[in-house]
Amino acid sequence: MSKKKMSTKAKVQLLVFLIVYVAIGLWNAKLMTASPSEALKNIANRWIVQFGPGNAWYYQINPMTVIMSFIVILIIIAFAKSVHKEFSLIPGRKQAFAESLMDFIYDIVESSVPNEKYARTVFKIAMTLFIYIAVSNLIGGFIPGISADVSIAENGLRTVKFTIFNDTWFPPTGDLNTNLTYAVMVFIVSQYFGIKTKGIKGWLKSFLEPVAFMLPMNIVGELAKPLSHAMRLFGNVTGGGILVLVISYLVKYMFLPPILWGYFGIFSGLIQAFVFSTLAIAYMASSIEA
Amino acid sequence: MDFSVELANAIAIAGKAIGAGLAMGIGAIGPGIGEGNVGAHAMDAIARQPELTNVITTRMILADAIAETTGIYSLVIAFLILFAL
Repeated sequence: MSKKKMSTKAKVQLLVFLIVYVAIGLWNAKLMTASPSEALKNIANRWIVQFGPGNAWYYQINPMTVIMSFIVILIIIAFAKSVHKEFSLIPGRKQAFAESLMDFIYDIVESSVPNEKYARTVFKIAMTLFIYIAVSNLIGGFIPGISADVSIAENGLRTVKFTIFNDTWFPPTGDLNTNLTYAVMVFIVSQYFGIKTKGIKGWLKSFLEPVAFMLPMNIVGELAKPLSHAMRLFGNVTGGGILVLVISYLVKYMFLPPILWGYFGIFSGLIQAFVFSTLAIAYMASSIEA
Repeated sequence: MDFSVELANAIAIAGKAIGAGLAMGIGAIGPGIGEGNVGAHAMDAIARQPELTNVITTRMILADAIAETTGIYSLVIAFLILFAL
């Protein structure tokens, strides 16, 4: 066993963490409903704001997703600015972190994209996706924040109730619209790369690949890519959140949640961000011809 | 409330619960087998070439996540049955 003593700074940090943890636990014990079914009743409802006549989808927005997206964007910009300010040949801690992260993704891009001309473009798209999804999964994974509880009345009227520190922040990736946007964007970019490298004739021909008989299979296979791409992320983030909420009720919201947040928020969130960007690289690389 | 209406509601709730349970339970078989295969072969590969551990682990996690997809679909369907139907 090592005899190394904890520094005063580490002790203070640990103490602050424990105090915040116990305070949030007590706060949640006060807010807790009698039965889990009461808490789970409104879990599938979203806060929707309408700014036009009728019930059409193009008049509706999801304010929670929009607000949280901007918060994630601001966090990333703030970090990038702070790294940029101390940019030097001998990297500091932040710069070393950013550089090793980019190097890690760039290695994957370089090994999978056959044409070197497109490596940088693919890298920029994949890296942006990775950073955005990782940050949004992390703030939705384990940082307590404001949550909106929406109940729908009999006549379809939605009432929103906000509670503080009751749940984690709402992650933008927990909304299927966000994920589908990125997945469809990756799909369009990959088809564009396919047309550009193979020519429009070669691109159309690639759908008849082994035999012409396989045409419907190839089309369905291409269209299934963005769907599964988006659904994977959405299911993981939402499923993790609901699982944490359900299991929290078994232990009365005191001891287990940090461990669960550690798994579903940090580990699973980072893995899903990595998987999303790696699959984006793979989809784009598969349509680029050397 | 009329007894028959009550009975109908009870049957609907029972159907939801059974359906969601079956969807999740049966849907988890495939990903379980798939991820087991991926993990077993990754272990084989690491035992044969320990110097490639990092590369193999990265690829293994990626393959795991892809094998998991159908399980996630059944999770989404189970949520739909429970909360949206």
